[in-house]
Amino acid sequence: MTIMDTLRTGYATCREHLRNTNVRVSVIALAVFVFFTILLFIASLFSIEIRSQLLLLIPVLFMLLVIPVALNYMSRRQYADLAPVYKDEAKTVRVKLISANMMGKPVRIEGVVERVYFQFLNRPQYLVADRSGAISVKMFTNPKDNVNLNDVVEVFGQVIPRYIVTGDPVINCVSIRKM
Amino acid sequence: MPADTTEKNETMNRMLEYTVPLLGFGGAFLGLFIWMNALPVDVRITILGGLLSSCALAYLAWIQPRKDIVALTTPLYSIIFLGFPLDDVATIVLEFLYAVSLTILVVRLKRRFGVSASVSNTKNELAEPIRNYIEKIPDVLRNVSEESGHAAATVVIRFSCGDFHDAAWAADAEVAKLNDARAPRVVREAFAIVGEQAECLDKSFPAPPRFATFSSDAHHVLAKEPGSPGDTNDLYNSTLENALVLLFACAWAVSEQNRTDLLGQQEFVLQLLS
Repeated sequence: MTIMDTLRTGYATCREHLRNTNVRVSVIALAVFVFFTILLFIASLFSIEIRSQLLLLIPVLFMLLVIPVALNYMSRRQYADLAPVYKDEAKTVRVKLISANMMGKPVRIEGVVERVYFQFLNRPQYLVADRSGAISVKMFTNPKDNVNLNDVVEVFGQVIPRYIVTGDPVINCVSIRKM
Repeated sequence: MPADTTEKNETMNRMLEYTVPLLGFGGAFLGLFIWMNALPVDVRITILGGLLSSCALAYLAWIQPRKDIVALTTPLYSIIFLGFPLDDVATIVLEFLYAVSLTILVVRLKRRFGVSASVSNTKNELAEPIRNYIEKIPDVLRNVSEESGHAAATVVIRFSCGDFHDAAWAADAEVAKLNDARAPRVVREAFAIVGEQAECLDKSFPAPPRFATFSSDAHHVLAKEPGSPGDTNDLYNSTLENALVLLFACAWAVSEQNRTDLLGQQEFVLQLLS
């Protein structure tokens, strides 16, 4: 196999992974990239020093997009690998039965999304309610489905304290999908 | 006396709430006074008022059952203000703005995160709703043996921790023992209900079409109204909640050795009662 064949295979594999993993860049990351692109463009118009360093600055500028994409891809892959494990081990419970004594336990809940926060940051938080109560569901990457207000969802996750070491119980979500 | 302690705690907490704006604005006004009269004192020393005020706010946030991370981290900001060199006017303006923020935060803490001290002290004594329920059913609790009380404690603790399989096993084992004993029928029913439903939860089964419930003559000793028979889901859920609360009451009344562990479960029981 030649070097070109290896590169072609590697590129095809990466594209396949990216397509399957549904990588998304957050609005903030895009905004930062656009801002610094415009800044660099304007600065290069007025400064010879900056124009002379464009060969270095342009790749650095693209890293502002590449790094968030790579991080998003890594976190999505990790969650995709964890989801089947949680689906096997999680117990289906009502929100009312989740208490601080259940920290660390994998759970499954079904409910309606009553509130959505921080979707634009790729760190969405949902308030999911069933007939017995409501609980916060936090996710540290964007979910596969586009979950919105009033969607009926199935959540798999782990019960954790809200502020890592203290606070009321919330669900650290591994998978949330529309039913 | 628990009631006296609760009242003292409430009074102390209320006084601390007043000290937050007092210390914050007190420091700011003292700084203004020093600056206006050109006194030979460094104006920045008055930031201590803001620091003490933020520490009081952080303490008030810490003792709440639900933690407010914004209020908890306010002392960090006053330490940053102390270390950051500013001129006198900027320091005084900053102090006033900080005092306003702390005042808003204490009001927010009270409205969004605040509960009465009687409930927030649940860690050391039994909460009032549970105590009232136990006092309501002495006839039931009188005839529960210590072994059954211990078994009830095990079932409640295992269930609240999400160990449904262990809770089901312990409940079923106790049902078998109670069939030969002279325990109240409602207690046997409670164990049977928790055993059945804990097993369903362990296997993530939905509510079965037929399930164990309390007999109609036991409804007056239950903590909550049983659900309507027309709404199967509601009846299924409320039956479990009543069973768990009853078992907690039995465990508390009869099994003194388990009381320390049971105190840790009362948040869960209060949740079931709500």
